Amino acid sequence: MTTLSLSLAPPALIRLHDALTCLSKFNETVAIEAEHDLLRLSAINSTKTAYAAFAFARELFFEAYAFSTDANSRAARHHQSTTSSAQSDRFCCQIYIKALLSIFRGRIDRKKDTAVERCDMEIRESPQQAECRLTVRMICGLGVIKSYKLTYEPATVQHAVFDRTKALNQWTADPRFLRSIIDHFSFSAEQLDMYSDSGKAVFTSFTTKITEGKEVLKHPVHTSVAIDKRDFADFLVENKLHVAINLKDFKAVVAHAETMNATVTARYTRPCKPLQLAYEFEGVDSQFTLMTRGEGVQGGDDDVPTSSRASIPQQLSARPTPGPALTPAERARRDPNPAPEMPPPPAARSRSIRPLTGLSTQENFAQRASAEQRPSTSSAASASMDFDSLFVPADDDRQWDEMNEEEEPQDILGWDATGQETFQATLRDEEPDFSRLTASSRKEAPKDEMGIPPTQRMSQIRGLGLFD
Amino acid sequence: MRFRTQLVNPLTFSKLTASLASLGKVCWMRLEYDVIRFTIIPDQGTQVWAQIPIDAIFDETTYELESNSDAINIEINVSVLHRALRSAVGSTSAQFRLTKKGKTPLLALTVLSAQFTPGNMTLSTTDGGPVAEDAQQLPPTANRDVVGDMGAREREVWITQEVPIKILHEAVVDGLHEPHCPDPDVHIILPSLQQLKSVSDRFTKLAASDSKNTRPSVLAPEAPGLSAASFSENGGSGGSGGTALSTNSSPKLELSANMHGKLKLSIVTDELRLSSVWSGLVNPELDPAQMSQTAYSQLPSERNRAAKDDGESGWATVRIDGRDWGRVLSVGRLSPKVVACFINEMALVLYVYLPGRRNREDSCLTYYINSFAL
Repeated sequence: MTTLSLSLAPPALIRLHDALTCLSKFNETVAIEAEHDLLRLSAINSTKTAYAAFAFARELFFEAYAFSTDANSRAARHHQSTTSSAQSDRFCCQIYIKALLSIFRGRIDRKKDTAVERCDMEIRESPQQAECRLTVRMICGLGVIKSYKLTYEPATVQHAVFDRTKALNQWTADPRFLRSIIDHFSFSAEQLDMYSDSGKAVFTSFTTKITEGKEVLKHPVHTSVAIDKRDFADFLVENKLHVAINLKDFKAVVAHAETMNATVTARYTRPCKPLQLAYEFEGVDSQFTLMTRGEGVQGGDDDVPTSSRASIPQQLSARPTPGPALTPAERARRDPNPAPEMPPPPAARSRSIRPLTGLSTQENFAQRASAEQRPSTSSAASASMDFDSLFVPADDDRQWDEMNEEEEPQDILGWDATGQETFQATLRDEEPDFSRLTASSRKEAPKDEMGIPPTQRMSQIRGLGLFD
Repeated sequence: MRFRTQLVNPLTFSKLTASLASLGKVCWMRLEYDVIRFTIIPDQGTQVWAQIPIDAIFDETTYELESNSDAINIEINVSVLHRALRSAVGSTSAQFRLTKKGKTPLLALTVLSAQFTPGNMTLSTTDGGPVAEDAQQLPPTANRDVVGDMGAREREVWITQEVPIKILHEAVVDGLHEPHCPDPDVHIILPSLQQLKSVSDRFTKLAASDSKNTRPSVLAPEAPGLSAASFSENGGSGGSGGTALSTNSSPKLELSANMHGKLKLSIVTDELRLSSVWSGLVNPELDPAQMSQTAYSQLPSERNRAAKDDGESGWATVRIDGRDWGRVLSVGRLSPKVVACFINEMALVLYVYLPGRRNREDSCLTYYINSFAL
C-alpha cells in the first residue's frame, strides 16, 4: 500500500500551476515522483533533447506532506529513525498535463468568495485496487469543495544526467535580462547560439532550415545580441566556444524563471554535451537539461576548433529509475489482469477531467516517447496563446492591428510554443559515445550533491543495452 | 551597389512597416537619392504606393547610395523588417546597410541600445527603452535578486538583425506602374482614423457574425494588374469583365461621401442595416495652379461641390471589403492626415500624409482600393 497525501496553500498552488505550464512545453505528460522529503515533477521531450524537472521540498513548499509505502511503514515501526528514505521508497507515475492543468482553470487568485483556500491531493495505491486515481480536492470559500479524480499511470521516470562538477562554463543572469535578449529574436527562429568574445557575450538566433528562391524572403531574421559580460551576475565561459540550444526551450525556461523572479544559472562543458539551466525559489529546485548542438554561427568567419559543425544533437543520456511497480514480473503479480490496463474512467463527473486513453501502463514510457516521433503531440499539449503578449511589450500600437475576431480566451494562463518540432532529424541515427557516457554517469551519481541520487546499482542495469 | 545610412526615426519607420505589413508581406522597396519608395501589390486587396523622403527616417548626412541605375530595388518581407526594426526603437544608434552573407543579400540593421540599469537597491526608472517598460510592470519586490555589477550605469547592448532580401533588376520593376484613376467625384478629409477604424471593425464584426453570409460571391472590377495601369478610363461601373475576387463572403462595407463635408459608412445584410454619418468634414481645395480655370470647374468633384446640398444628390459611393479596410486603416498608427478620393462605384484612393513635415506632400502613402460591384 502506497499512499501520498499533500496539502497546498494558494501561493504554492500557483507555483505548482506555473511549473506544470512550463512542463507542458516539453511534453504532454508529466512524470511525478514522490519521495520521503520531496515531490518531483519532470518531463522529457519526445526527441529526448530537453529535460525539465521541478523538485518541491517537503518542508518549504507544502502545508502538509505525507508519503508512505509498505517498506516505509515497516521501517518506521522497527526504528523510529528517518533512515528509511532508501531508493525503493519512491512512487512514480505519470499524468496527462492538460488534465492536471484543467483543474486549476479559473480557480486561482480570483478575488471571489469561493476562491481556493487549500488544495489537497491524494494517491492511494494498493495491490487490491486496480484503479489508478489521483484525488484532488479544492477547498474553497463558503464551504465549497471541488473534487477531481484523475487517472494516472505507473511509469519509468527518466532523469537526464548532468554532472555539475564537470561543467567548466557557467553564467548566471537575471531572467528579465535574458528576456530582454529574447525580445529581439524573431518568433520563428529555432536555434540559439551562445558564445563569448572579448568581454562580450553574444546570443544569436538562427534557423537551420534551408530555403531557396522565393523562399528566401520567408527566412527568419538572423539576430545576434551582444551584451557586456558585466551585465551577468557571473560569467565564466571559455572564449569563442559556441554552443547552440533550441530557442523554444530557452524561452520556456526564461518565461518561467521570470514569473518566479529567480536568477538563472547555465552550466555547460562543450558542444554536443548537455547544458543545464537551473534556479531555485521558495523550496522549489528547477533544472532544465538541454542538449546542445555543436555549430558555429552560420557563415561566421571565426571557426572554432572545439565546435564540431553541423553535428546533430545527441539525446540526453538518461537513467531510468523504475518505480516499484514497473518490472513486468512485479507488475504482473500486483495486477492479475494487466491486459486492458486501465479500468474505464468513470462517467465524466466534470468536463475538465480528461482520462488518459490509449496509453498502456506496461509500455515503457521512454521507449514509446522515442520510438514514435510524434510531431503533433507537443502542439496539442499547449494551449493557444498570443505570442505578442509574452515577448513583446504590448503598447497602444496594437490597436491598429487587424481586429481579433475571436473572443478573449476564458483563461489566459498557458502559452504555445507553436508546437512545431524543430529537431526533425532522427536522433537515433547518431552513434552515441558509449564510453564517455558510461564514464560520466558512473562518476556523477554519488558525488554530485545537487544531482539526482542513484536508484540502482550498475550491475542491475546491465543487460538493458545502454551500459554494456 | 552600396547602401548605408544611419536611422534617425526608428519609431516612424517601425510604424510605417507595421502598417504596410498588414496589407502584404512582400514589399518592393526602391532606394533612391532623395526618397525611399515602398510598394505593396498583393494578389488581391488594396495596393499601396508609398514615398518617403529619406530625411523622414534616415540621417541625410550619412546616407550613402551607389548604384548604376541611380536606384536600388529590393524585395523584402516587410513584416520581417518590422520585427527587426522593433529592436531599434528607443536605441542610441541604428545603422542600415546592404551586405551579403554567402550568396544571400541582406539588409543588416545594427543597433546600439544603451539602457540605464538601476542598481539593485532602487526601483526601475523610466528611460523609454522597451526593457525598462518591462521592468516597470514588475512588482516592487522585483529587485530581490542580485545581478553582477551593482552600480547604476548604462548597459550597452549591440543587436544585429540580418533581414534576407532579393535584389530586383531594373528591368523587373520597369513594368510596375502606379494605377491611373479618373478624376475623383468627391474628395474629403477623413475623420479620426481611430474612430473610423473602431466603427468599421464593429460593423464588419456584426455583419460577419450576423449571418455566415449566404450571398452569392461578389464580383469585383478588374484588379489593377501588376504590369499596367488598369483602372479603365471609361469608367464602367465595375461589373463588366469583373473577376471573382474571392469566394469568401467577408462583409462588404459601403462608404460614401459628398462634397459638403459628409461621410457615410454603412453595411447591409439580410438582417441588419447600419450606418454612421460624419458631417462637418473638410473637402480640401485642389491646387488651382495645376490646371486652367475652366478645366478646374469641370472637374467632377467641383461640379459636385457646386451642387445643392439636398442630402440626396452628389454622393459618391464605393463598396469595400470590411477586413481589407480595417487593414488599410491600420495606417492610423502614424496619425496622418488622410484625403479620400471617391470615384463613384469604382474605386477609393487614399492619400495618406505623414504628420510633422514642413512639406507634407513629400511623404505620401497612396492606397488604391477597388470598389466591389453589387
